[in-house]
Amino acid sequence: MKKDPSKFDFTVRPKGETSVWLTAAGLALGTLMVLGLLGLVFVEGFKVFWPSDVIEVTLKGDSSFAQNGHVIAGTITKKQKKLRGGAEEWQLFLGNKDAYGFGFKYIDHAHIESIQKPLDIVVAERTEYGDAIFYPQKITLNASESVSIDHQDFFKVFENQLQIIDQRRDEIYTIEKVEIGEINRKMELLQQKKKSLDPASLETESILNSLAELQTKYEVLASSAKVLRNQQDLSTLEYQLPTGEERSLSLGNFIRIHRPNQMNVFEKIGHFFAEIYRFLTERPREANTEGGIFPAIFGTFIMTVLMSAAVMPFGVIAAIYLREYASQGALVQATRIAVNNLAGVPSIVFGVFGLGFFVYFLGGSIDQLFFSDRLPTATFGTGGILWASLTLALMTVPVVIVATEEALAAVPRGAREASLACGASKWQTIQRIVLPVSAPGILTGLILAMARGAGEVAPLMLVGVVKLAPSLPIDGLFPFVHFERKFMHLGFHIYDLGFQSPDSEAARPMVFATTLLLIILVIFLNLGAIFLRNHLRKKYTSSSF
Amino acid sequence: MDQFMNRFIIVGGLAVIFAVFGIFFFILVEVMPLFDRAEVTLEKSSPTHLQGAILIGADEWMEHPFIVSKDGSIHFLNTETGSITDAELEKPDHFSVQSWAYHQNDQTLITAGDSGTYILTQILYKPIYAQDGSRKISAQTIAEKANRIAPNDQSILSIDFEAGKTMRTIAAISQSPNDLNHHVTIQTFERKRSLFGAGKFSLSAEEPLDGDFPANPIQLLVGTGGESLIIRLENQTIQYWKKSADAWQLEQSFTPFTSKNEIVSMDFIQGKVSINLTSDEGENIIFSLTPTKKGLQFVQTKSLETLDSGADVYAHSVRNKAFLIANETSISLRYATTEAIRWESSLDTPIVSALIGGKYDKILTLAESGDVRFYNLIDHHPEAGFKAYFSKIWYEGQSEPKFVWQSTGGSDDFEPKLSLIPLIAGSLKGTFYALLFAVPIALMAAVYTSQFLKPELKRIIKPTMEIMASLPSVVLGFLGALRLAPILEQRIPSVILICIAIPAAAIIVGYAWNQFPVNIRVLIPHGLEFVVFFPILCIVSYVAWISGPLFEQFAFTVNDPVTGGSVADFRLWWTDFTGSDFQQRNSLVVGFMMGFAVIPLIFTIAEDALSNVPPTLVAGSLALGASRWQTTARVILPTASAGIFSALMIGLGRAVGETMIVVMATGNTPIMDLNIFSGMRTLSANIAVELPEAPHGATLYRTLFLGALVLFMLTFLVNTVAEVMRNRLRNRYKVIN
Repeated sequence: MKKDPSKFDFTVRPKGETSVWLTAAGLALGTLMVLGLLGLVFVEGFKVFWPSDVIEVTLKGDSSFAQNGHVIAGTITKKQKKLRGGAEEWQLFLGNKDAYGFGFKYIDHAHIESIQKPLDIVVAERTEYGDAIFYPQKITLNASESVSIDHQDFFKVFENQLQIIDQRRDEIYTIEKVEIGEINRKMELLQQKKKSLDPASLETESILNSLAELQTKYEVLASSAKVLRNQQDLSTLEYQLPTGEERSLSLGNFIRIHRPNQMNVFEKIGHFFAEIYRFLTERPREANTEGGIFPAIFGTFIMTVLMSAAVMPFGVIAAIYLREYASQGALVQATRIAVNNLAGVPSIVFGVFGLGFFVYFLGGSIDQLFFSDRLPTATFGTGGILWASLTLALMTVPVVIVATEEALAAVPRGAREASLACGASKWQTIQRIVLPVSAPGILTGLILAMARGAGEVAPLMLVGVVKLAPSLPIDGLFPFVHFERKFMHLGFHIYDLGFQSPDSEAARPMVFATTLLLIILVIFLNLGAIFLRNHLRKKYTSSSF
Repeated sequence: MDQFMNRFIIVGGLAVIFAVFGIFFFILVEVMPLFDRAEVTLEKSSPTHLQGAILIGADEWMEHPFIVSKDGSIHFLNTETGSITDAELEKPDHFSVQSWAYHQNDQTLITAGDSGTYILTQILYKPIYAQDGSRKISAQTIAEKANRIAPNDQSILSIDFEAGKTMRTIAAISQSPNDLNHHVTIQTFERKRSLFGAGKFSLSAEEPLDGDFPANPIQLLVGTGGESLIIRLENQTIQYWKKSADAWQLEQSFTPFTSKNEIVSMDFIQGKVSINLTSDEGENIIFSLTPTKKGLQFVQTKSLETLDSGADVYAHSVRNKAFLIANETSISLRYATTEAIRWESSLDTPIVSALIGGKYDKILTLAESGDVRFYNLIDHHPEAGFKAYFSKIWYEGQSEPKFVWQSTGGSDDFEPKLSLIPLIAGSLKGTFYALLFAVPIALMAAVYTSQFLKPELKRIIKPTMEIMASLPSVVLGFLGALRLAPILEQRIPSVILICIAIPAAAIIVGYAWNQFPVNIRVLIPHGLEFVVFFPILCIVSYVAWISGPLFEQFAFTVNDPVTGGSVADFRLWWTDFTGSDFQQRNSLVVGFMMGFAVIPLIFTIAEDALSNVPPTLVAGSLALGASRWQTTARVILPTASAGIFSALMIGLGRAVGETMIVVMATGNTPIMDLNIFSGMRTLSANIAVELPEAPHGATLYRTLFLGALVLFMLTFLVNTVAEVMRNRLRNRYKVIN
């Protein structure tokens, strides 16, 4: 039937709508990917700090973990379906690696006879072999007085002892790392000086005297440290593992305890934040699988600061030159294109350059000139925080140049012309009009550069990041900022924990927590830059002269 | 002040720009030495006036060489004073050296005479350090008394040996003046090592090599472990004998020169896997032990430039695969792996013996007159060269010429394989799979965001995608390798279903929704369509994930040879069906994770380009009655195509250079195939993994710099193309406006 042209054809549809929906799906997919990944990291990361309940599982007779009635206890770390057959299995963290030989175990859900949540089971953080999960029995103080679990103040005594032990541990650390460390350093300097002198001269004699003095000081400190260490081991704890085995360990091995099954929600929240705080401020233990990541945070922070200090002046000056001073011809255009390109060059190429030029060439020359008495041990001729910062600065200079140029270009011409008309010179115009107006834009560029630098790992692997740094790049010993020291870095820490760890299961929580921290940091920086940029755009799009 | 600042800024700006370009030049400078040729310069010439000198040997520092004379005596030459010291040697009277063998690695020398006897001498070099730190090399010979290997009347034509810690094998070809036949005899010595040290070698077996030789044997070489013999016969063929279970068997017989030319020399190259042959016409070829269907056999693997005649003098380096050959008029230093001539020169006097220093830094030649010449050899990177990096090379132990990257091995005999091609292929493979995954999503998202999305929402969507860009690649690599890869390994069928289901769902939902009448369609306003997909995609993916195992049961079954039943396992099915590997950390994982890194980049630039299309064009098209998709597809996309192309180029550049994700999420195996389920090693990952261990200034170090240079140039090129296209687009818009 012919269609009546005066009537609206309700079957007509705009063409190509299906394709529109297809593209909508593309966007949704992209967004889901981002949110999904972030969600995964957040959930897995925060899960690490929450004190999970300890379950005590009684296994059926035919299970593979055969010890004393087949009773084991631990926290559930994973629930998954088996690969073949789809039966459910759980992974438990059992702790007590020194007793069992392993810390994690998979059990079939079908093998479980009963599950309980004993109120008085204790989870303890230790200095070695990770956490322990046990029932405490008795504390023996100073080899004489003993307090048993039945005593009503048992846990008060326990916690009290742990506090004393913790303080003592800090004292020992101060003596050994800080005070003895300083003596070592002084002795080393004196030894170096002595090497270049004539053995018979007076100076040598005075050096020998000083060395002897330092040696006596060292011995005093060492013996006091030894006394403290012995005191740590005076008290012992006897405890029983969930499997029934009885063990005893000196209290010096314990750091802190909590009873998760007894904690209410508020206590758990408190523990949660306390764990986060400790994670951010403590040093790592046990090959980075336990403890905190403070050195990595500090190293990343110092490196970012040094990098920004290096990149800011050079990037801004180069951008000012390109935009204000250079004659805008083909050469400058080509330079601009080239600088833009450099932002796209792989970071590893910068790492290669950093290694070849900064470390071997510059560092080697510095060593030859100023530290030749320490050769062949390289001081600056090997990776360190200075070279790493310079390498990353070189890598992020294009970002800063581009952002600064855009900010400078956004300054209304009218403002510049007005300033020149009032009699200001070119530099005065730049200094007092252009730069202040474009300061937020420059800041945006700096923030983007910092975000990029904080996240890059590949070049750092070549120029100075290590798995475990013996000391921080900034400390109390002169010259306070040690540019030649190797440092730890959050990004590299993730790589190291995930791939170079002796116990990858134990490292898993640390990896996620570190990943979470790094992502929070980077997102925070990027959002800050974006916010700043948007804020600027609003401020300046409407202004005109 | 003003002037100062002006000047300061100009200088500073130029300095920064130069520094940025300096990177390229620095890397170039580090790479250049790889392509240098060897430099050989005469250091000094010491006349010795020794009569009948036949062989020169030396310590690895080349400070105390020794010369062997025809009568079997050994003379040490003091390089400083030029004086000769005779070594204490117990040799029989009238000893006339007919043949000899000198092994530089363990400084052992055998000289064999014309009455069936030979003398084995050990030369002990010890460095002695003086008070002031200077070093002298003391030399001492320890000779065993003459041993008999053939009857009194027989002269030894050729002798060779192989000595180990507890065994020693000596083989010789002897001939008596009356007898036309030549005889091959093999002696085996053993010694016991105990806590008290090594005992003396004692003869444990002596046997003739019984074989019907089609012609007389005239030269032999003893292979590794004393388990093989390579014998050259008078009829220009070579026989390869192997010892299995105490019995010698003829393994292979071959004619090396197809032209039936005379074989003039046959010698081992360091490692005793390859033999270097020269013919009387000057042909120079190398045969290596190669795995073939019949087992390890000698196959011609290399052919080098011809000389003008066969080589009279041969020496090989004990550090690498370099060797020196010389005839009456010329001498050349050649490298076996790359078939290259490192250095050549003409000779003014013929030489009888030459030696390449143990440290590959000096060359010694001995002339017939007894003159000894010391040459300095500067050849830091003999294994490098354009051929080594970019062409197929037949390495020792391979069955055919291949591209291989295997930079370090366990012993000095190892032949470094430095082809960059597998790495470049790996980079391209990673990029391909990353783009395969990222481009559809990024482009679709960009089109939607710029054209159809509600403008107010752009403020939220764009930062979200930019957050994706800021995710450190370490995190992506870690999640990919330790989280995603193990899960994916078990569930490839689920992934396949998801890849099919998501676009299908999008199309179906879009089509179905469109059929509804307009009063229903207004429920989802224009610009908010994507919100609908959040729950839909989640549900669809979940369903596809769950149905994966079922799909696997139907489609991917393989007959299990062990139980006889059929097993549903995609991994087994894949190896069965395609014949290629299945790895847990494969290109699929890498492509997905690299997508996170590449998608936001492509998205931002494409979206920029699409948004900046002059609104007059859009308005004109819509006014003419085109639907919104028709406008997008036929007006906007073509106009912004340069920008989209530029976005793809930048994404490609980023994917090529990505390091951390690749290091963590692939197996880092330098293989060359397109298999999505196997790993790869890219240029960038290779640098990150190997550079920390590479010794400063060594071949590997500079080769890695070459890799960085290739990477730099590749990304620079790609990015420049992208920039140029972007600028063209900008100009085009200006014109339109």
